Amino acid sequence: MQKTPKDTKPKLSRREFLGTGAAAGAASLLPAGQVSSAAESTAAERPVLAAPSAAQMARETGAARPPAKIDRIVHKPVSDLMVQVLRDLQIEFVASNPGSSFEGLQESIINYGETPNVMPEFISALHEESAVDMAHGYARCEGKPICALIQGTIGLQHAAMAIYQAFCGQAPVIILVGRDDKHFLQAHTADDVAAIVRPYTKWDAHPKTPAETLSAIQEAYRQSVTPPCGPVVVVLDSEIQKEDAGTLAVPEFVPPAIAGISQRQAESIAASLLKARNPRLHVGRLRTPEGIKLAVRLAEEVGASVDTRATSGPMSFPQRHPLAGPGDNDDYDFELGLERPATHVSIVGPGLRTLDDRDITGVNLGVVRTPRTAQHKPAGQNDIVADAEASLSLLIDAVHRQRTASNAQVVRSRTQRYANANHEARVALVEEAVEAARAGWEASPISLARIYAELWPLIRELDWCLASPSIFSGRHHVNLWNHDKPYSYLGSHPASALGYGLGASAGAALAARDRNRIVLNIQGDGDFNYTPGAMWTAAHHKLPMLTIMHNNRAWHMELMYLQYTAGVRGRGTDRAHIGTTFRDPYIDYAKLAAGYGVQGEGPISDPELLGPALARGVAAVQNGEPYLIDVLTQPR
Amino acid sequence: MNSRKIHALVTLALGMATIMPGNAQVQFGPITGDAENGKKLYYEQGCYGCHGYQGIGRKNLANDVSGIMFSEEVFLIYLRARADLNPMLPSQDMPHYPESSLSDEQAKDIYAYIRTFKDTPPPVDEIPSLQTILDDVANEKGEGSK
Repeated sequence: MQKTPKDTKPKLSRREFLGTGAAAGAASLLPAGQVSSAAESTAAERPVLAAPSAAQMARETGAARPPAKIDRIVHKPVSDLMVQVLRDLQIEFVASNPGSSFEGLQESIINYGETPNVMPEFISALHEESAVDMAHGYARCEGKPICALIQGTIGLQHAAMAIYQAFCGQAPVIILVGRDDKHFLQAHTADDVAAIVRPYTKWDAHPKTPAETLSAIQEAYRQSVTPPCGPVVVVLDSEIQKEDAGTLAVPEFVPPAIAGISQRQAESIAASLLKARNPRLHVGRLRTPEGIKLAVRLAEEVGASVDTRATSGPMSFPQRHPLAGPGDNDDYDFELGLERPATHVSIVGPGLRTLDDRDITGVNLGVVRTPRTAQHKPAGQNDIVADAEASLSLLIDAVHRQRTASNAQVVRSRTQRYANANHEARVALVEEAVEAARAGWEASPISLARIYAELWPLIRELDWCLASPSIFSGRHHVNLWNHDKPYSYLGSHPASALGYGLGASAGAALAARDRNRIVLNIQGDGDFNYTPGAMWTAAHHKLPMLTIMHNNRAWHMELMYLQYTAGVRGRGTDRAHIGTTFRDPYIDYAKLAAGYGVQGEGPISDPELLGPALARGVAAVQNGEPYLIDVLTQPR
Repeated sequence: MNSRKIHALVTLALGMATIMPGNAQVQFGPITGDAENGKKLYYEQGCYGCHGYQGIGRKNLANDVSGIMFSEEVFLIYLRARADLNPMLPSQDMPHYPESSLSDEQAKDIYAYIRTFKDTPPPVDEIPSLQTILDDVANEKGEGSK
């Protein structure tokens, strides 16, 4: 380890100090009439009292400035290089709640480089769970990671729930954990900090040198974006962050090599698609927006109808693409799954492994470890364990090679037929959804379908992202809205655990802020109250996040569970509200928002007031300000 | 009444539910309960949780669309026949209401209140947002990827 340069000038002992003119300055500070005991000594010993020097006067008046360069300053801390690594990886944000084991890295983020605090920008979170949820929400939008920067044992335990959620959601998230082994609070540190979350992270490292640290961050990126994607942890020793880097340089980044299907498999699948009378694609969640473009190209090249998951989560096929839908008949003779099971061939990436199956050798040695090949349980006989997105270019190339004039004509013909049939099917679905939404239109409290319906005319021309889970608010967007972007709907809580929606929406809004996009957060009240501080983050960083409270004043599912159990026991349901509802007092979310600096209004229970409020909210977020509308709703 | 008869009646009621919507010929039974007290009980017993505050929710009751509302007798039989034996999994199904927790009189009061629910939303062409949604899908022929 290289030592921080130190002042090599001999220092004065206290005795020597008192015996020199250095004491004169001290004496000169004494009020007139007071004489120090030293000054009462003999005249020979008495120091010469002189007028203060210019430097002393400058210090006295507060005008002193530190010299431009002194030896005691670390000019090139390793943490600067860590930031450079993140910058090279295009990490846009580091979301963090400040701690006392990563001030070295934090200082570099906010001060290093010609444009400090950009790529990455330090995002202030009020809770580590929020910070990780933000990284999770961002990852779902963009298909790539940002970082959460976490304080030792205590911050990591706060973050644990959100990490678990990201693990269940296979989201690429990089968690940097500060560690200070000489910490004044030993409870904040541990030999193996990452052990706290190892059961539900994909990979972790605790590098022991500056060079290892830079490599570990790069490897963390590769691990997080390589299927199975997931959260990864790098433990950063405080001392390493602060060391002088000397001649150390950022190592060259080697992008991950993500395995797709083989050439032979690609040729075989392409032949089947072109030969089929009625081919069908089942498109699940791909890794990145690029994967969606490739899936669209493949569908168009072979004229296949497509079953999409765009209304269930991010990164799937556009919902209203002409080929999206059942096609003109369901007698499919070749079905290909892309990250989805299918009758004939499925290309599905590996799943994340549990701790029991993880390679934990070398955990404490600081080495960069590569997990063993993940095991995947085949869903069918023709299941191929490979990343679908990485396979698509090969498939498209194979289709090009095998295409003839005659099957090109067949493809054109069925594409038109499918487009017409899909359009008819879509119109029928929307008409049904509209009729369902009409029920209870004038009800008060306000129906959830009306919230979704009234939003559509306001957002249909905008670039929008529905970031909050909709499972508890009726999923009315599914057929009332058009999901045509990779991030149109980010999906449900992967671990079915509350406390996720607000942080994830703030993360989606981080992605949206500089992309002229707005984020919609139809926010359950139970979920909101875990980490409401994310509202302040939205205000502080001017995030375009419109929060519409689905305020049913309850943890409603649990209320129904309790009602059912009381019924089974014959005890009546009239006390089931105990512990499942927000009564006495009701929570005022508009006031909460105001307290965090977010403009808001409500509670609104008159349905006629809803539309104008939503219009004000959309206008606010278009201007780059978060906004909250508290809506008293029907329970479901 | 034995369980077989209960099952038969509930089946009848549920069968009625499938033929009721839009069938103005079917006459529902008389109302003897106190709707005002029923309103209070509807809230206290948490009926709004699934059926909404005005009978529109996960399971709609407004506009006499549900077979379980065919008569007070059917309603009572339905309430008294819900119990499973100590289910291990949590459930969001309709709870069981034995007479020990909800008397016949109270149940009839709730019945009377539910029968007051009338949902009369405007037609779609008078709701601009819903009309926009219909127009958008009607006018598109598939926009492709963006």
